[in-house]
Amino acid sequence: MTNNDVIESLISRFKKNDKIALARLITIVENEPEKASKIFKHFENIKHDSYIIGLTGSPGVGKSTLTGAIAQKMLDEGKTVGIISVDPTSPFSGGAFLGDRVRMTNICLHPNVFMRSLASRGYKGGISRAVFDITMLYEAFGMDIIIIETVGVGQAEFDVYNLVYTVVVILVPGYGDVIQMQKAGIIEIGDIYDVNKKDLGGEDIAVQIEMMLDDTIFQSGYRPPVVLTDAISGEGIDELLQCIWDHKEHVELLGIKEKKKNRFKYKIKELIFTKVEKLIMENFVDENEVNNIVKNALEDGKFNIYSSIHKIFDKITLEIKKNS
Amino acid sequence: MSSRKIRVLMSKPGIDGHWRGGIVVSRAIRDAGMELIFGGFQNAKQIVEAAIQEDVDVLGLSIHSGAHFAYTKQVIDLLKEKGVFNDILILVGGVIPAQDFPKLKEMGVANIYGPGSMTNDIVEFIKTHLKK
Ligand code: B12
Ligand SMILES: Nc1nc2c(ncn2[C@@H]2O[C@H](COP(=O)(O)OP(=O)(O)OP(=O)(O)O)[C@@H](O)[C@H]2O)c(=O)[nH]1
Ligand SMILES: [Mg+2]
Repeated sequence: MTNNDVIESLISRFKKNDKIALARLITIVENEPEKASKIFKHFENIKHDSYIIGLTGSPGVGKSTLTGAIAQKMLDEGKTVGIISVDPTSPFSGGAFLGDRVRMTNICLHPNVFMRSLASRGYKGGISRAVFDITMLYEAFGMDIIIIETVGVGQAEFDVYNLVYTVVVILVPGYGDVIQMQKAGIIEIGDIYDVNKKDLGGEDIAVQIEMMLDDTIFQSGYRPPVVLTDAISGEGIDELLQCIWDHKEHVELLGIKEKKKNRFKYKIKELIFTKVEKLIMENFVDENEVNNIVKNALEDGKFNIYSSIHKIFDKITLEIKKNS
Repeated sequence: MSSRKIRVLMSKPGIDGHWRGGIVVSRAIRDAGMELIFGGFQNAKQIVEAAIQEDVDVLGLSIHSGAHFAYTKQVIDLLKEKGVFNDILILVGGVIPAQDFPKLKEMGVANIYGPGSMTNDIVEFIKTHLKK
């Protein structure tokens, strides 16, 4: 079979709800993004109806365990659920140890769930490049709900915000004091704040978040709730789920279209940036030239990097002007 | 397909507490630049479902309970039933007596690794024996 035939045959199996075909198509969009257009031309008239939720927070706060717990409840409610969990790729070996699925063994045999572990593969921002494409495949597969679990993030990795309609920021006891709550970044993006591992405490963190929220003005009238959960015993999971549905209602009332547009814009810009970066790096940036600049600045002490980099910038600008 | 990453699922059928070997091998696989999905304790159905959804190239079973024939047979039968057996390289490791190797291979296991196996050999075998 030619490559094209492979995709065609996978698509027809996919349309018959074959999970093996879904899994293979995910592999293709992940490994060979240049084939995405061949795949997605079959799904041009799908409705983008899945409700997409993001779970984010530092390493080990319980994102995967919580994903398993809330997915279980959603399945009980008769919904279909697609899960994407991202773990980091090693910058040294390029390998990854994907340890999210092991926390969700409870749901993995349910016929209405599909779960895929992804490695970040060098993509910044707490997710992986393939996440958007996989959400599209899940939508085409007819998932009611899509849950995206980010890698364990720091303060400044919040790209998931652009891809989902509801962001759950997860914290644990010991997160920090009032100063921590004022910082920009992850702590700003929550539509819901979940303090997990409540069996270990966390009341103080919940109070700190409430105080931070007290000082925030919410133009839309929606104030993010703060929930305490124990993902292992299941305590607080119903409340967390209720908060998710409440926020969903709020988003739909306000018009989910804006959020959908934002998702697509984010991806389009990312595709352009990736392409531009590749074109420029391949066509205008010569590794020797970069080494020369380093040598000038560091060894010869002749020019600083800012005076030399102009040569490269000028070359790029000139070339672009010539063609426009 | 230069960016294709080898994906490996490491599972421990049954619930005996010998998880150490599976972790050691998993780390070696990670450090060899592959993507290792750690399945942990799983039954045969869970293993096969995970192998399908994760679209893995390799399935590793780590077994120290002595029940390697039973578990391996269950998993392979299910893989065949689902139609994915021909795509996945199956490796078994743990406490497996050498006299049981031939029968496991006959069942469809690509290779077997007992105590003292070198992780380099395992990685090398994977790289040179992928089915797809
Ligand atoms: C440490 C150990 C334990 C520890 C386990 C700690 C842990 N978290 O892993 C503890 C103390 C918990 C334990 C308990 C028991 N153990 Co114990 N244990 C051992 C011991 C001494 C070493 C195992 C080990 O960790 N080796 C180091 C690792 C790195 O080696 P490995 O697991 O063999 O892995 C290597 C290869 O096998 C292979 N490999 C392993 N998995 C995989 C997977 C893949 C895909 C691949 C490719 C390769 C691969 O690669 C690894 C690197 O070389 C062995 C004896 C032995 N020499 O093997 C007995 C042994 C495994 N235990 C045994 C027994 C009987 C028990 C108990 C039932 C004892 C009892 N009567 O209480 C309990 C069971 C408890 C339970 N809940 O199930 C028996 C098993 C007998 C059998 N199957 O026929 C053994 C063989 C001892 C013996 N000679 O009797 N044990
Ligand atoms: N005590 C306690 N432990 C929990 C709770 N939720 C999760 N854990 C444990 O915390 C550890 C990490 O849980 P995960 O769900 O893997 O956390 P994670 O945020 O997905 O981790 P990464 O994906 O590595 O960032 C595991 O040992 C869980 O069992 C909880 O509510 N209470
Ligand atoms: Mg996780």
